[in-house]
Amino acid sequence: MSLEDSVRLIVEELLKGIEKEKNQSSNSSSPLANSSIMDEGEITDLAEIDLQRYLQVPNPVNKEIYNEMKLATPARIGVWRSGPRPLTDTLLRFRADHAVAQDSVLGVVPEEFPAKYKMVSIQTLCKSKDEYLTRPDLGRKLDEENLEILTKGCPKGAMVQIIVSDGLSSKAVEANIPNLLPALIQGLEGMGVKLGTPIFVRNGRVAVMDTIGEELKPEVAVILIGERPGLGTAESMSAYMGYNPRLGMVESERTVISNIHKGGTPAAEAGAHLASLIKKILDAKASGVNLE
Amino acid sequence: MAKEMTLVSVGIDVGTTTTQLVISRLTLVNVMPGSQVPKVEISHKSISYMGKVHFTPFEDRRHVDGGALRKIIAKEYEKAGVKPEQIDTGAIIITGETAKKENASEIIHSLADYAGDFVVATAGPDLESVIAGKGSGAEALSKRLHACIANIDIGGGTTNIAYFDRGKCIGTACINVGGRLLEVDPISHRLTYISSPAQKILNEYCTETSKVQSGNELVSVKNCLRSMVECVERVVFQEPLLAQDSCLVMTNLLPNVKIDGVVFSGGVAKYIYLPGIEEWWIHGDVGPLLAEAFQESRIYSSFPIHEGSETIHATVLGAGAHTVNVSGSTITVSEHSLPLRNVPAVFPESETSGKFSWLKSVDNYLDSLYHTVALIVPPLPNTDFLTILTLAETLASELPLIKGEPKVVIAQQDIAKVLGQTLQRLLPAIPLVCLDGIELAFGDFLDIAKPLPYQDTVPVIVKTLIFAR
Repeated sequence: MSLEDSVRLIVEELLKGIEKEKNQSSNSSSPLANSSIMDEGEITDLAEIDLQRYLQVPNPVNKEIYNEMKLATPARIGVWRSGPRPLTDTLLRFRADHAVAQDSVLGVVPEEFPAKYKMVSIQTLCKSKDEYLTRPDLGRKLDEENLEILTKGCPKGAMVQIIVSDGLSSKAVEANIPNLLPALIQGLEGMGVKLGTPIFVRNGRVAVMDTIGEELKPEVAVILIGERPGLGTAESMSAYMGYNPRLGMVESERTVISNIHKGGTPAAEAGAHLASLIKKILDAKASGVNLE
Repeated sequence: MAKEMTLVSVGIDVGTTTTQLVISRLTLVNVMPGSQVPKVEISHKSISYMGKVHFTPFEDRRHVDGGALRKIIAKEYEKAGVKPEQIDTGAIIITGETAKKENASEIIHSLADYAGDFVVATAGPDLESVIAGKGSGAEALSKRLHACIANIDIGGGTTNIAYFDRGKCIGTACINVGGRLLEVDPISHRLTYISSPAQKILNEYCTETSKVQSGNELVSVKNCLRSMVECVERVVFQEPLLAQDSCLVMTNLLPNVKIDGVVFSGGVAKYIYLPGIEEWWIHGDVGPLLAEAFQESRIYSSFPIHEGSETIHATVLGAGAHTVNVSGSTITVSEHSLPLRNVPAVFPESETSGKFSWLKSVDNYLDSLYHTVALIVPPLPNTDFLTILTLAETLASELPLIKGEPKVVIAQQDIAKVLGQTLQRLLPAIPLVCLDGIELAFGDFLDIAKPLPYQDTVPVIVKTLIFAR
């Protein structure tokens, strides 16, 4: 037997052994593993842990200051390590948060959502999420069919036209609209502002406001739209407001309030703030840089 | 809309010994990026005028001479080159032994033209301790070092102690120990005045003080001061107080915690940091000798001693620059409902249903002393619209039953605008002030100034009178 052959033999034997061990362990230990999980009841969801209160450093020298530092920022600091690498825990959570962000972009606002808030539901020229992501221009346009739904369902020339759109985060819409919309409507009506019928736009970009403005001619349009999610939150929403919304209006004519989410400006408070801001726009007959 | 604005704030400290005035500029900035809901904070405090240290004018030992005080302040305004109408906010702090009721009203009355609508007269040893600690830089130091720092402000009539734990005041004490409890003639160096607390201590060392020789007198004075400082030691080290301490310790609400360092402020502090003065009689009092006694004390030898940013000016600086908070810009304020003064913060009782009720707590504040009360909304489990609506409904049913207008509601979370708008819908006819972004504790009182023409913010002065233990 040549040296080469004997090496091959040894390797084959070794591999067989490993295979055997694997089978054995999977046969014997997996039911055990399962039952132990069953005993504990459930696996805690990694994403449930509040990272800012999660102290991963074992035996910190000064726990109080460590805690304070963690609470001071949503950034992932003080996460400890395994050699030069992050802990499995940290890595998994990072990937979980990334997945949440992706889900939020690709997710869909439920079919019944617009009706629940008495919104007229339309869709831009984008027929799918893929098209929405790759063709921003189509996310600003409406076809004849959708324009007709608009003219039928919404009165023209309202003082304020509210538009809601999924944008880049369907989760933002679902999380914030239930609290923001009633506060916004209450605030505006309290100031004597007449509202049009709210509109929900699927696969919309900010400038779909211009297309709608051209059709319904409101004094002011406000679009509440999901922001591109990050690792901190996937539920952040922005509000863009434009006086005399029309095709060809420039971006600097829009007033924006961003970071509407639990950790930023809470939705209900944001709605109340938007109401007074919109009132200011109505009084000044200007928005964006013209308002400053 | 301007990116920032400046407030001119005046601080006037009328103390047992001295009266000072300082004019500072507070810069208010929107700290949020342009695209977000604005949040206004005081970003910068600078002193634009530091007045001279004047002796507080007295008609007799107990009564402040209002007319003379008015002249001092008028002159300082003139020297600073500001007119009363240019002042936006500020505070008069009447401190130490001067803080007696008849004096306070005399001072407010005589300074009405200069103090204006917004400037506030406050008194009380606890507040003074806190203000001195802020003005001396002890508060900032404790924050920077993440430590518990004691500020010991030694003035003419009182020693005010405040503990700051990582930027937060956790307790105060006020002790009748000061540099001017004994006065001397600068030429003969003999005692010319002995205040009653000093007399009591002095009696222990020498019954006929005024008759003994100058040399012996100095010895008994030093003994008396040492005895007073020992009383401060007992308070700081949480030791049982002796019988003689009862006439010195006015308030003591210091918690039993380990302190990491001490800052001295007040007029006497100067001589603690710069010891060895020969002409101890230079001010006509025993301040430098008291400083010496503090230097020899266990306080000085047991803790790291830090130098603050101010000594004699600590209280007036604190009054001028550190008393003002700014409420967030998302608030609701009915027109012409401000300013308000001395509004007590009323915390609710929570009922078994989880709802809050203020009606019982308000009963404690029903005397005619208060114009209106501020209902404090504790942190809610969430800030959903429905939660706020439920809260607003509770408030709307209770507010009309509570005396005083405008109705003041202060939330701990960022909900003042939506809560205010909801309340305005439910109670359209009632003037309302709804604020947030102000940290309050049980026993606080508030002065709320007129809204500023900048992002609708409202300056608020929080006066902490007692510490809940």
